[in-house]
Amino acid sequence: MSTAMPLQPDLDFKRQILALGAHDLTSCYQCGTCSVVCPISTPHNPFPRKEMVWVQWGLKDLALSNSSIWLCHQCGTCTTYCPRDAKPADVMAALREYSIGHYAVPRFMGRALSEPKYLPALFAIPILIFAAILGWLGNLTSLPEGPIVFSKFMPIVYIEVLFIVALTLAALGGLSGGLRYWRAMGDEMGGSRAGGFVDTLTTILKHHRFKECQEAPAGTRPTHKEHLHRSHLLVFYGFLGLVVTTTSVGIGIYAFGYLTPWPFWHPVKILGNVSGVAVIAALAVLGYRRLADKRKAGKSTYSDWLFLNILFLTTVTGFLSQLVRLAEIRELAYPVYFVHLVFIFFLLVYFPYSKFAHLVYRTVAMLHARRADSGSPSEPRVLTVEGLQVPTALR
Amino acid sequence: MSKKLGVYVCGGCGIEDCLDLRKLTDLAASECRAPVVRTSPAFCLEDARMIREDVERQGVDGVVIAACSPRVNTEVFSFPSAVVERVNIREQVAWSHPPRHDETQSLAHDYVRMGVVRAQKATAPIPYTEANERTILVVGGGVTGITAALDAALAGFSVVVVEREPVLGGYARRLHRRIPSRPPYRDPQPVDIEASIRRLESLRNIRVHKGAEVTEISGQPGRFDVTIRSGEHLENATVGAIVVATGWKPGDTASFESYGLGRFPHVVTSVTLEEMAAKGRIVRPSDGGPVNRVAIAVCDGPGDARHLPYEGNVSCLVALKQALYIRELCPDAIVYLFYGDMQAPGQYEYFYKRVQGDPGVFFSRGEVRSVSEEADHKVVMEVHNTALGGAVQVSVDLLIVSTDMVPASLDPASSGSLNLRYLQGKDLPTTSAGFVDSNFICFPYETRRTGIYSAGAVRQATTLAACAQDGTAAALKAIQCIENSSAGAAVHPRVGDLSFPKFFMQKCTSCGRCSQECPFGALEVDAKNHPVLDANRCRRCGICMGACPVQIISFDDYSVDMLSSMIRAVDIPEDGEDRPRILALACENDAYPALDMAGIARLQYSAFVRVLPVRCLGSVNSVLIADAVSRGFDGVMLMGCKAGEDYQCHFIRGSELLATRMQNVRETLDRLALEAERVHVMEVAISDSAEIPAMLERFVQTVRQVGPNPLKGF
Repeated sequence: MSTAMPLQPDLDFKRQILALGAHDLTSCYQCGTCSVVCPISTPHNPFPRKEMVWVQWGLKDLALSNSSIWLCHQCGTCTTYCPRDAKPADVMAALREYSIGHYAVPRFMGRALSEPKYLPALFAIPILIFAAILGWLGNLTSLPEGPIVFSKFMPIVYIEVLFIVALTLAALGGLSGGLRYWRAMGDEMGGSRAGGFVDTLTTILKHHRFKECQEAPAGTRPTHKEHLHRSHLLVFYGFLGLVVTTTSVGIGIYAFGYLTPWPFWHPVKILGNVSGVAVIAALAVLGYRRLADKRKAGKSTYSDWLFLNILFLTTVTGFLSQLVRLAEIRELAYPVYFVHLVFIFFLLVYFPYSKFAHLVYRTVAMLHARRADSGSPSEPRVLTVEGLQVPTALR
Repeated sequence: MSKKLGVYVCGGCGIEDCLDLRKLTDLAASECRAPVVRTSPAFCLEDARMIREDVERQGVDGVVIAACSPRVNTEVFSFPSAVVERVNIREQVAWSHPPRHDETQSLAHDYVRMGVVRAQKATAPIPYTEANERTILVVGGGVTGITAALDAALAGFSVVVVEREPVLGGYARRLHRRIPSRPPYRDPQPVDIEASIRRLESLRNIRVHKGAEVTEISGQPGRFDVTIRSGEHLENATVGAIVVATGWKPGDTASFESYGLGRFPHVVTSVTLEEMAAKGRIVRPSDGGPVNRVAIAVCDGPGDARHLPYEGNVSCLVALKQALYIRELCPDAIVYLFYGDMQAPGQYEYFYKRVQGDPGVFFSRGEVRSVSEEADHKVVMEVHNTALGGAVQVSVDLLIVSTDMVPASLDPASSGSLNLRYLQGKDLPTTSAGFVDSNFICFPYETRRTGIYSAGAVRQATTLAACAQDGTAAALKAIQCIENSSAGAAVHPRVGDLSFPKFFMQKCTSCGRCSQECPFGALEVDAKNHPVLDANRCRRCGICMGACPVQIISFDDYSVDMLSSMIRAVDIPEDGEDRPRILALACENDAYPALDMAGIARLQYSAFVRVLPVRCLGSVNSVLIADAVSRGFDGVMLMGCKAGEDYQCHFIRGSELLATRMQNVRETLDRLALEAERVHVMEVAISDSAEIPAMLERFVQTVRQVGPNPLKGF
């Protein structure tokens, strides 16, 4: 007779989410305003109200096995309109942060990236690896003579080999995390398989969701969302540009023997520099808005700042390497390049465990939601507080 | 009866622009034969002196002031040695009808005629001033009673407190802590009832009877004779007013049978939890083991037929408070709090937020559908319609169900009766929910026995803070009652009214209707079954006057004869087709002010309607309606307050009684071969002024459809 869901609340989980900057959650009285004003939640899967109540009740499995937390693009409209100042956007952010650690493979890496005390160890790994290589090459004690060429200091092939191995491991980690998340969400939802991936990719490339966040008028109050679409678009394509640059350089070297450094006028070089500037500019805006619009932007946690700073410093050290190389300051150029490599390592190899993992989890969530929610994402939004769905797997 | 009349027609506030004052003064002088007739651009200013001089030097003893509504300028137009009749030609004529129009002028003429008749017939009442005892009896020595007694005593009145238990303090004594009553309203506070008790016992003008009860109360406000029994000892006291603060008791646990109360050892009431907390240990009742999961079900409310038919915020606040007890005494425990509606009104919002801030208290609305027991006495609850998206099941070590707060008045046999020696019964009339009945909006403390005021949990389910507030309020009402009663004046709603009903006993048929229908039990009967009035119990509503089938009940300034004469004073045109005449008997509490407010808003309504204010629709004797139709009125409207369970009637039952009397009226109409549609009862609230024109117009149309009254001109 009973269809009632047995509850096994996890008070520790609730406490951890509160500690991740969501401590105002407790004042939520479940009115549902957040889900109503959210520009992108759908009638099939309204959020963030259900996340609010799940966390209030310590229902960890429910809270972490739903696509909503990653469908949210953190525009903060819910926080702006919450009548009790429970800051739903902070809860969503905290859940995302928690879930990266929760799904991380291996588990300890998730923890390592979320606690400051592990930061030295995380930096020590690339520093020791690169130092070992340099020591073996003899470049640790004496810097290469002559014009500054970074491959003389650290041959490209070493870098390639190291990164291919490390990134494969990282990719496996990211993939496993994504798969665990997918499985947790349940694989029994309807919808068409075909086209889901292409649609999701288009949505990501066009930043549709950010745009919806920005454009859907919830009311007259100003929210955090105005700059998000543009800034994220800029950092996204900037980063993509840098990836293309790096890849092109690799191809240039191995396929055509076109050795670095390449001249300034080279289109790839131009792409690289423009992309770098874009990333730095966008990150400056994002960082500044986090500080300046503290209320609207929501709480910024250690993980937020870690990721922003690593990405920022990676790009900045890249530029610096180029500058000191052109300035022909040998004593600075090689050490800066070394630092640059360490940051690249940190950024890319630890990506499944840092905030960078959003590129996996958000994509997985969007794909999953696309399949569960076979309707179009832009169908008219019904103002509802009902429709809290419990995944079949968890009933 | 012969009076020297003075008629004063005011031209101010736009009256002169609307009406021909000359015609009005001519009417007063010739038709009404008033020896003194004056006009002024504003009688309410210096010219009030003219009236005063006429009264003092010219011997004018009937003053008719045709000006503004009787609801304003009452001080200015008060001339104690004369009968003053106010004719409302401002709000209800000049401001609500087209200016310089024949029908408007006729309306003013009729009102002047009505006023003159009334002034001729009325006499200045002589008050009853023989009951002036200044002691207050407080029944019940809980927080409410203690507060009432202290406040009354500190105001200089003698107080007698009667408490059934051998100690004072009532239920507050059993509480671990109280719901916060002071800023910042965050944490439960110590109850600290002892300090108040010490204070109370230190005051010399308070006499406390503990372990005692009231065995009889007779008399009236200003002089109640009370018998108090303490053990075998009987003592008499005379008091002027009574505060009833008999409180509440926990409801029958049988109503929680479906929650497992009584069947499962781990299901307890909030009263039991309070006792556990007071002892400092919240444990599994079966074996004293620790509790890890606790559920609190706030389960009163209208949705649940097993409980009292109302819902209060107290059970919610108690649940919040007890959640904190559990979190404090068992820091590892999680508390599930299920409710229908979380009610934390006013400042209690801070308390609610504070409890919400404890991560170990989980909130959700929900309906507890089933409660069962599993191994080790764990209680399994199925809760439906939760905020979690449907039905959930939780297993707890302890389930707390909120106790019903049953007012003592619901069951006086076991909770203690006042033993009133009143014809209408020994207990205070109650609402269907068992609370002491009162006009909850306008007169929350006044019971239906004048001079007896209810306060605290016997009036409504309340927190200790509200109980204390109630105690103070009821003490003030008791003081007001004593002051007014000793002057022979009504306490409320007709504050200061010195008149009271008089009986032309030779014609009394001993039918008993007056003494039965009085909502306040003001009338007793003698050996011949004739009514005997206790003047200070009377609220001067005139319901007895409306009830009396032989019309022998009248007030010095309000009687069937007077109203009937006023009705007959209206000029009824022969050509009823074009100029129908409609009588509106309007309750002076709500309908009449609503009509005034329509005028103030300059809303225009039918000039065919003649408004006659009445003290209550219950005071309308059915002969008046018969008089109106036989006189030639085409229709009669009875405008009064809402009757029934959620009554708004200021005299509780007036509107309701009128409805029953309408049967007589219909028979009268039938006998006269008149249509039933000619008489219409209309519910008007004081807030209905905007609807007034449409309400009146609808009835005018109905009357026009029925056609002119064939009795016109007879």
